[in-house]
Amino acid sequence: MDIQNTQSQMRKGVLEFCILSIIQQGEVYPSDIVEQMKAANLHILEGTLYPLLTRLKNAGLLNYRWVESISGPPRKYFVMTEEGEKAYQALHTTWSEMAASVEAIIAPKANPIVNEANTAE
Amino acid sequence: MKKVININFQGRILPIEEMAYENLKNYIETLRSYFEKEEGKDEIINDIECRVAELCEDRLKKGAVCITEADINLIIESIGRPADFEAQDGFEAQSSSSNTNFTSSPNEGQNNWDNVRPKRLYRDEQNKVLGGVCSGIANYFGLEPLLVRILWIFLIGVNILGYLILWIAVPSSSVKEVGGVKKRLFRDIENKVIGGVCAGLSKYFGIKVWIIRILFLIPFIRLVFNFREIHLFQFWDAPDFPNFLDITFSPGSVFIYIVLWLVLPEAKTSADKLEMVGEKVDLNSIKNTIQNDMEGFSKRAQGWGSDLKNKYQSEHSSTAQNGATVNTSEKRKGVFYYVGRFITISIKAFVYFILGIIGISLLAALFGIGVAATAVMPLRKFLLEDGAQIWSVYGALLFFVWVPILGIVAAVIRKLAGYKKANVWVRSSFVALWVVGWILLFYFGSSLGHSFSKHNVPEEQTVSLVNPGVDYLEVTASPRLKYYENRWFQISPFDAFSDEDTVFVRNLRIRIVQSKTDSFQVKVVKLSNGKTIQNANELASKINFDLTQQDSLVFLDRGIAINKKDKFRNQHIIMTIAVPLGKRIKITNKGWSQTNVRINGRGMHTETFDRISSDDDWYDEWNEPWDNESFSYERGVEYKMTATGLEKIKRDDDAEETLNNDDQDPDEMEQRLEELKREREEIENNLEKNREEKLRELEKIDKALEKQKKDINKSTQKISASIDASDVKKSRLPKVAGKLTDINWVLERFTY
Repeated sequence: MDIQNTQSQMRKGVLEFCILSIIQQGEVYPSDIVEQMKAANLHILEGTLYPLLTRLKNAGLLNYRWVESISGPPRKYFVMTEEGEKAYQALHTTWSEMAASVEAIIAPKANPIVNEANTAE
Repeated sequence: MKKVININFQGRILPIEEMAYENLKNYIETLRSYFEKEEGKDEIINDIECRVAELCEDRLKKGAVCITEADINLIIESIGRPADFEAQDGFEAQSSSSNTNFTSSPNEGQNNWDNVRPKRLYRDEQNKVLGGVCSGIANYFGLEPLLVRILWIFLIGVNILGYLILWIAVPSSSVKEVGGVKKRLFRDIENKVIGGVCAGLSKYFGIKVWIIRILFLIPFIRLVFNFREIHLFQFWDAPDFPNFLDITFSPGSVFIYIVLWLVLPEAKTSADKLEMVGEKVDLNSIKNTIQNDMEGFSKRAQGWGSDLKNKYQSEHSSTAQNGATVNTSEKRKGVFYYVGRFITISIKAFVYFILGIIGISLLAALFGIGVAATAVMPLRKFLLEDGAQIWSVYGALLFFVWVPILGIVAAVIRKLAGYKKANVWVRSSFVALWVVGWILLFYFGSSLGHSFSKHNVPEEQTVSLVNPGVDYLEVTASPRLKYYENRWFQISPFDAFSDEDTVFVRNLRIRIVQSKTDSFQVKVVKLSNGKTIQNANELASKINFDLTQQDSLVFLDRGIAINKKDKFRNQHIIMTIAVPLGKRIKITNKGWSQTNVRINGRGMHTETFDRISSDDDWYDEWNEPWDNESFSYERGVEYKMTATGLEKIKRDDDAEETLNNDDQDPDEMEQRLEELKREREEIENNLEKNREEKLRELEKIDKALEKQKKDINKSTQKISASIDASDVKKSRLPKVAGKLTDINWVLERFTY
């Protein structure tokens, strides 16, 4: 079994949710997203972020506007649309449900192992 | 030692090592191929390029002299190579599934439109010659683009205007690839000559500036070549109407230019400049604003609905105090809510509809006035006095008609295209100009009215006929052509120019009365309006109206000449022809079918010539509803003067035929009836004969068939006898049997 693949699958599943929740907190510049993710120890390449943002935008979940920068050309800042808000809420409930279930599944399994260890002794 | 070059990358000037530049270029290329199948790849690439440029600039700000290879490598690493994307978490590979997660969620049914989207007309960016309109149409109908182009040129002519409209209205095929990024028309103030309109247009359409400039200048170039007639709006200058250049841009290239100037914002910020060149999306801006408007509308509608609901609730709670009714009332509230919403929405829609119609018709009316007035402008010298009057009409036309049209058109386009409203100064100066237009209009109206305010003292002149004793008089138009008549349109009462200085007016009316003597008499009254009575008298006396007689023919001039000096002041002529008892008169249609000749109906009755000379009621006479009374008079018909009035005698050839049908003698009718009866009997007899003949023929055919049948029976017997003899015959048998059944079948049919 390819552990790496599973890991990436798992990460992939939450990636969009993470990005959406960062954008949900306010208008944001893509590289800031990368920074925030990095701070939370989730690494994402800008090269993967941009296509994702574009897709989300084309799906109507995000919108962007050009913001004048002090130097150089304007920068694209992303904001959430109403639809995006809805999608985010849906994901959020899914996430909390899932997290709860995963926790619930993990926790009882920890005990039998402990018990087994005990009995082995 | 490394070579450093300057590159313009995403709007930034970057000094970069040549090797680093090569690396960067390759990197972008790999990205491009990696995202090849991605929807919106251009946008992604663009975003990444932007980011790279930004990072580079950061480096430079931190004191680097130029971008080195190491810098580029760092940047590339932070953004990631395609290989890294796959390695990182592989979500690129399966990204499509994550995408559908969102789009298929019940909230966003709208986003599925990419998959279910119906066939739409796009301009084909890939195969375009000019704007891709033709190839887009070809794609849509699955035709060869060349065919469409040829058809386009043949069917519509080189209809550049239509092409332009489609160019603007039909979205580019690149819309399919790139979402939402707007491309907007701006005025390019950096490359402007006057207002930057042409430069902006050229940026928008991606054509060279000079093409647009030339299109705008064509009317003026033409103007230079025939500057004898200088009109601002060549299009409405009737003589060269069907000129294809005129259909393109010159319906006032000035007009278009000004509208665009007013409508388009300047490209001030760099974001504007980006949008000006754009991401190849054209109509999106318009679509978005409309969508936003619609959303706002539905929200408002909901607001009204809930207002109504609240009202109803409060009313209802006051009337129905029983707790038991709560349940039903809620249901009814729901119904009421929807009904209320429906009603408010439909009322609003209706109001908008009506307002829209009013607006459009107002605009159309103004436009019509504008066009008509502009078209009459060449005739101004024959009507208006120099100086204040002519300037006021110019001003009124410009400010009262064209300024609001410009304003409305500009406002509508602004609204549709989602630009901000024009600023206060522009709007208030528009209003001010329009007020000026009103003032000028009133001044012009009153001053023109004054010019027409008085009329002359009528004076009856007897025109002596060469030979008044003829029995029959035919009044007809003078055959010599005084002027060229074939024009596109004519503004009544003006007729065509004869030359630069003269125009003809067909203000002629004819009355026919009974003569007291036994000879024809013609009297003419010349009438005119004017500023003063004196002026009117003078103008009337200048009217030159010839009448010549040749035997029984009387030739009249076709119109009254008006020159630029004396102007048109409603000069007109009333001609009275007195016809002696028992003599005939005819007023022909020939040659002057368009000429304004009226025949006074009253003259056709037993009026005497004397009555006319009472001068008092000339004007009453003129203003009376001649049309109604003279309706029964037919031109081209000969009339005879009798004691009781005019009487028809003979019509022209084509009139005679219809005459025959009307009055026939009863005897004749009977004769014809009998003839018809005889004819009918003959036809019936013939029929009887034919029938008998045919019956006989049928019998013959029957007999022949009977014979055949017998023959066939015999042959079948023979065949059955020789079945075993040969295989060949065996194989024939079914055929023959088939034939036999066929024939049997035919026979059966015949026996029926």
